[in-house]
Amino acid sequence: MSDDPIREIAATAARAAAIAAGLDAAGAARRLGEDGLLGVLAPDSVGGLGLPLSAAAAVVAATEAALVPLPVAEAMLAARLLADRHPEVAAAIVAGEGVVTVATAGAFICEEGRCSGTVGRASAGGAARWLIARTAGAGPVLLDLRAEGVTIEEERGLDLERPPARITARNAVATPLGDIAGFEADLLLLHAAGALGAAEHCLDRAIGHVGNRRQFGKPLVAFQGLRFELARQKLALEGARAALDHALAVAGQDPRAEGVARLVARSACGDAAPAIIEAAIQLHGGMGFTWDLGLHRQLRRAREAAAALDAVAARAALAERLEQAWAA
Amino acid sequence: MSATTTLPPAEAPTIDTEGYRTRHRAWLAANLPARWRSDNPDYQSPMLEEAKAWEAELHRQGLWGVAWPRDYGGHGLTLREHMIANQEIGRLPMPESVNSIGKELAGPIILAIATEEQKRRLIPAILEMREIWCQGFSEPEAGSDLAGLRTRAVKDGAAWRVTGQKIWTSGAHRAQRCLLLARTGTMESRHRGLSLFAVKLDQPGVTIKPIRQMDGNAEFNEVFFDNALVEPEDALGEQERGWAAAVRVLEVERGTNRIYRAWRLEEELRHLLTVCRTDPALARIIENPHMVQRIAGVQVDIEVHKRMIEGVVEDLCAGTGIGGRGSLIKQHWSDYHQRQAQLAVEILDGASYPPSPAVARAQQRFRTVYLRSRAETIYAGTTQIQLGIIADRILKLPREG
Repeated sequence: MSDDPIREIAATAARAAAIAAGLDAAGAARRLGEDGLLGVLAPDSVGGLGLPLSAAAAVVAATEAALVPLPVAEAMLAARLLADRHPEVAAAIVAGEGVVTVATAGAFICEEGRCSGTVGRASAGGAARWLIARTAGAGPVLLDLRAEGVTIEEERGLDLERPPARITARNAVATPLGDIAGFEADLLLLHAAGALGAAEHCLDRAIGHVGNRRQFGKPLVAFQGLRFELARQKLALEGARAALDHALAVAGQDPRAEGVARLVARSACGDAAPAIIEAAIQLHGGMGFTWDLGLHRQLRRAREAAAALDAVAARAALAERLEQAWAA
Repeated sequence: MSATTTLPPAEAPTIDTEGYRTRHRAWLAANLPARWRSDNPDYQSPMLEEAKAWEAELHRQGLWGVAWPRDYGGHGLTLREHMIANQEIGRLPMPESVNSIGKELAGPIILAIATEEQKRRLIPAILEMREIWCQGFSEPEAGSDLAGLRTRAVKDGAAWRVTGQKIWTSGAHRAQRCLLLARTGTMESRHRGLSLFAVKLDQPGVTIKPIRQMDGNAEFNEVFFDNALVEPEDALGEQERGWAAAVRVLEVERGTNRIYRAWRLEEELRHLLTVCRTDPALARIIENPHMVQRIAGVQVDIEVHKRMIEGVVEDLCAGTGIGGRGSLIKQHWSDYHQRQAQLAVEILDGASYPPSPAVARAQQRFRTVYLRSRAETIYAGTTQIQLGIIADRILKLPREG
């Protein structure tokens, strides 16, 4: 695929994200759905575009930068995952008619199609219609959150626009999903892309700030100490981007979660993205620490992404696969 | 080597990439003398004449001059094949080129700005190792700030006479030619009054004094010119414009020189870990979770380095420029290679005593690598110069608001 369709999608996503950022989760889903952005990965049969993962990465870079209050990566990947076996759910997600979320903590206990127990840290779970959750030993399930026996309560987390939720099921009907390793691996790459998109946005904001603010008779950007700091952050950003772009490009050939390219991207992006946003906050001085400036919002989301990316675990896994890296 | 300045992408020949790679890999494996492998306990560095013969053979085998035009002794392929050949060179613990200034700096500049006669005379001599080059840019009063450059070249009939001093001139003691940057305009013309020359070093007006480095070697030199002669045919490019053209070439070169480096630094890590597994004490150290993180962190940096290089090669082959991206690459590798070298020395210090020959060789290799890595954030533009370029050229930060 050439860069042009991706650039086009990035531009569409930036426009839609700016509007969706001012809506609630349901409204944001409808808005992005209208532009076809939630169906970037899903096949044509459910109204999707069937594009490669790099297109979804462009979407999520824009929606994370703009703080869209929707788990966009989860929606794009769930629509692809569910297209064959649950086309009606996939089509609804693509159209933005309902929010889908993923529980990243805990597992249900399921027997004969019915699940009980508590799972949590489901992004924007309070606004969600569908949940993908793990089970103890029985493989992941899809749960309709309107089903009987399901209760949802908000949890404390870092992300302000997509507060996480805890979901308790009591003998609720759920659908087994089979192997979703590819879904989970790709979700990590999209988290990396989103965090890096947010980091780039914050770095641009910092550059804007030091260009405008004058102290000691000159703009801050004229001070070499600040220029070097910005250059260092750019270096970190471009290094992480090189790792991510490669992982996205080979994602189709290597659907395993533990391939070298994916581990490298997790390590590079998981470390770089929050650090760049922290530096952008620092470069804003006292303003950087205020609630109203708002860079803490991108930082909160990037920290959540970094927790999922788990750079330490990624490097530990990479250390076991050095021979594979050297053979490439 | 800048394929773009010499070979339009449309004319790029199509070749069997994997066959090309396999052929080079097999040839190198069969022909690199074992004693020159820096992971060999019986390692010996090649003598100068041996190194020259080896590099000339590498050229005949298609491993040097890959993307240079056939008219001048090159192999007429693209930067993609140049990268493949370099990946295979990088994978082996091979001696460094003794003429990298010729091959990666002077050559590309000559191809970009020299006359047809000069290209036909100078380029084959580089590839056949008849002429080793050094780079005469830096001076005591002009490092990266070339506006202060004082070495003068003045007309003497059709020829030129050069007087002045260069410093940090790597390899001058073995070189036949110096790519000299000298002032032909006034001091007030600053960096605009500079011209390039291909000066012969074997002449009475040239004195070379080695400078001992912190690793104990003396690779770099002071070079003094006292009314040294430059033949008319050795002035390169348009007078006082040669430098501007050279800067354009150098921008590409900063991204593409020693393209094998990422793969060589990976070979260093492979050598380190392979040796560690042969020694019980070292094997324990590299299993320590903290060390595992640092080792894998180096591999992450190597992977990023490879991807940056591949990206630049693809963009150059597609005919897109690379802007200041060479500075990103240079800063990335020089930073992480220092961490890598420090890690290697730290780990190897924990070896069982007395060390086996293999461990002793690795200790010796990585002590040298460690000390030399301190130069890597200094030469070819210090870290501070690179950060300045990233700020100015990539981020395009204004100087004033």
